[in-house]
Amino acid sequence: MSVTMQDHWYPVALASGLRRSARDTLLLGRAIRVALDDGGAPVVTAEGRALPVQVKFGHVWTTLGVPAGDVFDIPEADQPGRRLVEVGSVKVRCSPLRAVENFLDIAHFPFVHTDVLGSEPHTEVERYEVEIRDDVDEVWATKVKFFQPQAARSAQGGITTEYMYRVPGPTCSVLYKTCPPRPGEWDVITLFVQPLTETTCEVWPWMALFDDDSTMTEMIHFQQLIFLQDRSILENQLPALLPLDPGREIPTRADMLSIAYRRWLKRHGYTFGAQLVAA
Amino acid sequence: MTERFIISGRLDGSLLPWIDGHARRIGVAVDFGPRSDSAMELRVDGPPALLDAMEMGCLLGPIDVWIEDIRREPV
Repeated sequence: MSVTMQDHWYPVALASGLRRSARDTLLLGRAIRVALDDGGAPVVTAEGRALPVQVKFGHVWTTLGVPAGDVFDIPEADQPGRRLVEVGSVKVRCSPLRAVENFLDIAHFPFVHTDVLGSEPHTEVERYEVEIRDDVDEVWATKVKFFQPQAARSAQGGITTEYMYRVPGPTCSVLYKTCPPRPGEWDVITLFVQPLTETTCEVWPWMALFDDDSTMTEMIHFQQLIFLQDRSILENQLPALLPLDPGREIPTRADMLSIAYRRWLKRHGYTFGAQLVAA
Repeated sequence: MTERFIISGRLDGSLLPWIDGHARRIGVAVDFGPRSDSAMELRVDGPPALLDAMEMGCLLGPIDVWIEDIRREPV
């Protein structure tokens, strides 16, 4: 049986943010309601029908279809000593697939996150490796290296940061990056995207970091600053939908990860938020 | 620089005119070689970075085509 986008899990709320009053929102264009039952457990309904619910990584997840399994795992999230950071949500007027693709775009760091995640003249993206891991059906990029003036809230001065990117679902991405205070470990930064419509989404960043110095507020503000810089770019991208045919775009070697993501979407027919034929 | 691109996948559909158009957009020269519905060869001529760009574009290709793999060989 083929898996559709409806069969995947999507974040729809912060578990800690749920109140007795319901949260009315959208998922893949359909109206849903997120609320707490009498026992304080989250429930999600669509047109009165109860949907499956899981709570993971501080978020409430649901699905409109029949999922093949649980919400994907991030084993590092269970490591002792990590601080789990619920960043909150940002509504963005862009395709949910565009939001993920932007997160995967390494080359934009020096131009959009100038003097934080990148800086000129350090604009070159070194060769990295990309694969679609068939055993887990995920897109992975490894050996990604980039010079960053301030790679994290806890970083002191510029370092060459190593990254791994992972796409475990059509609108979710996990970034593993060099952990400045703890060499040998990876900081985990995620982008969970709730697809509202084909051209709007709600983004729920979440992190699992080794950082004993920063306050929770400082870590949240750092990540919000980064994402707000992205938002102005995302809301002005044309075409609004993510093209699965390059059309007028000219992807280069640095865009290998974006191409692998789009190929993966195309192969599975995950086209909610995608443009199929070049304009 | 000239390279041979050996493309495999499900290649029926609009691939040929698409490759022709993408090559012109990028600015590389393409000669079409032998082809079937599951494999085809191209000779692509241009600067190395543009050959990379041609490979990236072809890996995605038009929506009605699935490119499984592109192998590149120097000519």
